[in-house]
Amino acid sequence: MITTPRRRQAASALLALGTLLSAGACSVANSGPEPSSGSGAANTVRIVLPEEPPTLEPCDASLTATGRVTRANITEALTERDPSTGQLQPALATEWKQGAPTEWTFTLRKGVKFHDGTAFDAKAAAFAIDRAVGSKIDCNVNGYVFGGIKLTVTAVDDATLKVTTAKPDPILPLRLSFVEIVPATTSATGKVREPIGTGPYKIAKWDAGRSLRLERFSGYWGKAPEFAAAEYVWRGEGSIRAAMVKSDEADLAVGLAPEDGAGDSAVQFPNNETSYLRIDAAKPPLDDLRVRQAINYAIDKDGLVASVFAGLGKPAGQLVPEGVTGHSAAIQPWPYDAAQAKKLIAEAKAAGVPTDTPITIIGRNGIYPKAAEAMEVVQNSLNEAGLSVKIQMLDVNAWLEYLLRPFPKNAGPTLLQAQHGNQAGDAAFTMGQIYGSKGAQSSFGTPELDDLITAGEQASGEARQTAFAKALDYQNKDVVRDAVMAHMTGILALSKKVTYKPNAATNDEMRLADMHPAG
Amino acid sequence: MLTFLRRRIASSAIPLVVVILGVFYLARLTGDPSNLYLPLSATPEMRAEFAARHGFDQPLLVQFGDYLAQVFRLDFGESLRTAEPAADAVLRAFPATLQLAGATMILAILGAIVVGSWAAYRPNSLADRVASFTSTTAASMPDFWFAIMGVLVFAVALGWLPTSGTESAAAWVLPVLTLLIRPFGVLVQVVRGAMVTALSAPYIKVARSKGAGELRVVFGHALRNAAPPALTVAGDLTVGLVNGAVVVETIFGWPGIGKLMITSILQRDFAVLQAAVLVTAITIFALNIVIDACYALLDSRVRQGVTT
Repeated sequence: MITTPRRRQAASALLALGTLLSAGACSVANSGPEPSSGSGAANTVRIVLPEEPPTLEPCDASLTATGRVTRANITEALTERDPSTGQLQPALATEWKQGAPTEWTFTLRKGVKFHDGTAFDAKAAAFAIDRAVGSKIDCNVNGYVFGGIKLTVTAVDDATLKVTTAKPDPILPLRLSFVEIVPATTSATGKVREPIGTGPYKIAKWDAGRSLRLERFSGYWGKAPEFAAAEYVWRGEGSIRAAMVKSDEADLAVGLAPEDGAGDSAVQFPNNETSYLRIDAAKPPLDDLRVRQAINYAIDKDGLVASVFAGLGKPAGQLVPEGVTGHSAAIQPWPYDAAQAKKLIAEAKAAGVPTDTPITIIGRNGIYPKAAEAMEVVQNSLNEAGLSVKIQMLDVNAWLEYLLRPFPKNAGPTLLQAQHGNQAGDAAFTMGQIYGSKGAQSSFGTPELDDLITAGEQASGEARQTAFAKALDYQNKDVVRDAVMAHMTGILALSKKVTYKPNAATNDEMRLADMHPAG
Repeated sequence: MLTFLRRRIASSAIPLVVVILGVFYLARLTGDPSNLYLPLSATPEMRAEFAARHGFDQPLLVQFGDYLAQVFRLDFGESLRTAEPAADAVLRAFPATLQLAGATMILAILGAIVVGSWAAYRPNSLADRVASFTSTTAASMPDFWFAIMGVLVFAVALGWLPTSGTESAAAWVLPVLTLLIRPFGVLVQVVRGAMVTALSAPYIKVARSKGAGELRVVFGHALRNAAPPALTVAGDLTVGLVNGAVVVETIFGWPGIGKLMITSILQRDFAVLQAAVLVTAITIFALNIVIDACYALLDSRVRQGVTT
């Protein structure tokens, strides 16, 4: 039975609720970082990302969301690849040599310290490599770069590291440019969210969900970066990221699309990604070479780039872009020829190929700007050529079921909307997984192409370039397993207070040391 | 009242179990997370090892049993994505949503009471027409459009407010306004309708004939009788907000539960998704019980039904 006077009770409840909410409001308002009042005043560069890094785990630095904060800022690797020249440069290793086909020796830089003051040496390097490669903590870099390769790592002395592989590996130093070095005090049995590294910045404060602050490491072995600190925040909406630069809340915004309205602050850069359609060449009518050629002729790449991609991109003919070992200068984008496409489909039909079998384009929402619109253009072109094509747009995980083995059963013939980025700089990171008969992303291959890929993987130097280019030429002429569309272009917004020149690696590795206060 | 609370809590237990079961099984129908958490070039052996390490290779029934055992120990597991306890992520995000929803609903209810009562006081007057037009427009406003326009006008063009974030009191203005506009529009219409009926009732004439002031007549007598329908609608709207304001949280970078749930779904981060849904469901059930208790406070017929 209620005995308290109703009015007093209701008033008390309202008062209590109001107090709770106002206390909560204060806690949210006060829990964020100190508001920064412009990069110049605080000597802090303010960066807005599309998403919060899930962790800053160095062995997951091959993940875009993690790597663009961690790599070359908090942690460093033994070697690093110059994204403009493709050349491998010294980092924590000053030199390296191949003593035997399966053995590499690295000479390590002296006088390097981790953020906690401990010295970097060969034991730390060996620990970090063992932790990342072949361990039980599901490091992304293990699958991304090593793919099951086993390493034996030995610290010969403080400054000498020996790495042995079971089979000859001509690009081991390149692979190790992806392994970020952490001290031996790092957990070997689980991932860490806030790592210690040797990089020019250390983690000052991570206010999970809100912001991340890095501060210059005074004990850094190299040249001190100009900004004393970097503050990262994240906003999922591209137009908000662009607006933050315009309203001086951020100095740099990444992951923008043309429609986000960055205006004068927009800076375009080749983002090392190539869009393509994977043709499911094992199933009719796509198992017929004429049909696959017709698909390539039917897609107007210039029109697609000009209209759908707002001019951002360059029509492409291969997945290995210029600057990556194995790129073939002989391959040009397939020309747009609707009449030839129709003719080839008609020929195939006359020869008994079931060209009226429904083909499904498996698209992925947001894989690149205007992804659905691009597929609608392709669908229209292919239907006009004489095929019967429909579209199914999926989210990432559902799409991955089609991208990766084992493929869905009874799916019918499909064209998979995909995008590939070769950040490692060597065709080995493209060819086997995408074009090999048993590649994780390959639904079709030929023994001849497999042999050419294997020859490339085993070669070194100029022979490696020639062998991979030959494999790509063969794929393009005799296999035609895909329809490559365009080398894509990224956009970031940059305030006038900061100078920064993005490059092909910017999406995955955003070096704070390359950012400078303007003027 | 205790009997009433016991009954409501008991009746909420069944839907809670259905929610736990539903989110567990439906989440797992969406695919294997190893595809998302391992790089595209990972070998099948690596994928199998990942699945085994996280128990995804076990039959669903076994996985569900393990999950239930964990929940009873108040252990919600670890996030696959962020390598932190799922409970930490949820307990960090949920207060942010509660604060946003609470501030929004308090302002919406107070505003709707004033504007709705004002409109109902002189039906068909200019004030009533303006209030009706404004509330209908507000109730029909797409929140994402309002949010983006708000940012462009007040942050970019005028520079009065920050675009987003939670760092200052000013950062609350646009998210709260965006969330507020639709509940405010709906509630004004409900309050107005209920107050028009209440103000024309015989007891109002009696109160006036006894010399009661107009403020007392409107807010003391009529509003109390007009309150139950408004409370029903306000309760539904609050539940909607507590469930997460995904659009507002995404646009303004508000670290709330809606954004966390969407990210967990897209990333197949089952532990975080399960914990977020469980905490949200318990809160919504508690909120419904509070609303029912408020009915009992406001309406003696409900109270009598409760105590008999």
